[in-house]
Amino acid sequence: MVEFNDVSVTYSSGVDALHNVNLKINDGDFAFVVGPSGAGKSTLIKLILKEIDATSGTVLVNGFNLNKLRRRKIPKLRRTIGVVFQDFRLIPTMTVYENVAFVLRVIDAPVKYIKSRVPYVISLVGLSHKAKAYPTELSGGEQQRVALARALVNDPQLIIADEPTGNIDPALSYEIVDLLKGINECGTTILMVTHEHDLVRSFGGRIININKGSIAFDEFIGGSNES
Amino acid sequence: MKASSVRYLTGQGLKSIWTNRMMSFASFCIILVSLLMVGLSVLFSINLNRIIGGIEGKSEVIVQIKDDVDKKDQAELRKKLEAIPNVNKVEFYSKEKAWKNMLKGMTEEEKSFFQYADDNPLPDTYRITVVDIKKMNETTTQIDTFDSVESTKSPTAFADVLVSIRRVVAMISGAIVLALIIVCMIIISNTTRASVFARRKEINIMKYVGANNRFIRIPFFIEGMVVGIFAAGVALLLTMFAYNGLYSILNEDFKIWNILGVKSLYSFKDIFWPVTIAYAIAGAFIGAVGTSISIGKHLKV
Repeated sequence: MVEFNDVSVTYSSGVDALHNVNLKINDGDFAFVVGPSGAGKSTLIKLILKEIDATSGTVLVNGFNLNKLRRRKIPKLRRTIGVVFQDFRLIPTMTVYENVAFVLRVIDAPVKYIKSRVPYVISLVGLSHKAKAYPTELSGGEQQRVALARALVNDPQLIIADEPTGNIDPALSYEIVDLLKGINECGTTILMVTHEHDLVRSFGGRIININKGSIAFDEFIGGSNES
Repeated sequence: MKASSVRYLTGQGLKSIWTNRMMSFASFCIILVSLLMVGLSVLFSINLNRIIGGIEGKSEVIVQIKDDVDKKDQAELRKKLEAIPNVNKVEFYSKEKAWKNMLKGMTEEEKSFFQYADDNPLPDTYRITVVDIKKMNETTTQIDTFDSVESTKSPTAFADVLVSIRRVVAMISGAIVLALIIVCMIIISNTTRASVFARRKEINIMKYVGANNRFIRIPFFIEGMVVGIFAAGVALLLTMFAYNGLYSILNEDFKIWNILGVKSLYSFKDIFWPVTIAYAIAGAFIGAVGTSISIGKHLKV
């Protein structure tokens, strides 16, 4: 669950990135965050990951009050969140398997569990045959699927996908959102930031539009490919 | 942390030496050069100190014994002298031996003048070497108070010069070593910073997936430590070759120390273990700490 109460962010440069944002994303929601560049979408994500602090207001994420969360406790928060970035952000010196397993290593998961869970998650994104490949040997779409596997391997409460389709072919974009939808159906909350209005229209769901640091609208729309 | 995690992180550290081999090699070279510069300077300094110490050891206090002191009292005096903490060695020099030696150094003319002298005018003496030359004056004053002692002669002025030389040498060599350490630390910190900077994205990703600082630091720490130990090993070999080469030139070919009549240089065999341990600790410490400090700034994500 993500909750913003009267949240404002002003950067040290003086830029007002968000003002008085009130937002609640419940467990199990799938929400698209849309808006023009510089609207405050990235700031929203940075706040959720506690990369930055709110200038005012309170931010609650997965039971953590981020206003009171100490720096050394940030890893604990982030272990409840899976993140998928536009530029994939895979560790280039690790294979697909190692990239995905790394998240479980971080939480000190038993080796036996890692050995069974990682191949399973890699198979969910359809990359079992590429488990031993390095990120540089994969296409953009494949790398994003690895990033997705990494995001969901420790069964997080929330997955944030920051423009996950920005660097891949439009055809593959639908595949990625389909995967995210599938994960959401299993109960994981998904927050997907995107510029691609066609994609949003096609899938539908909750749309949060941010403009000039405020929420312009927050509504549910029906998708064109929904039956 | 579980044993499996420790194994994993150690493995990651060792693996990344190879995966980041260019940067590892750069760190290796910098640590190697730094250890050599500092190590050779320290060795030069301790040898110089030993030479001065050798000269100091040759400085004697001559204790002249009163003419009327019998053998028993002489032995008593010897015991008293030996009981002084700053006294290193006490050697008896009889007046007969002194007389013979004095005659040896004379011309025939001078000798003929003394040849028929009724009595040996020289006194029996004790020749003393001291532990700490700085306290020579103090020791001499104490000896002067003993009943059986006629007088004492000590090269206090020379001792003062030696003490000053030793102080200046210690200051200069200390300053050089310190300057080298600072220069090396700056170079090493820049190299490790560059090495870590090249991997900042990797660190960033680790932070995003919830790795704590310790989890990120340990592989870097191990990597730095292993590179540092390798550099120390090579530095030890190079130091051994350089030192033994110089040693044979100075100690054997020139026989220079015999001419000076002072203690010879340390052989590498004498200092092998201290040098090995110092290099290993310094190499491991520089490599490990240098790297883990450099990643600190990238951990604040």
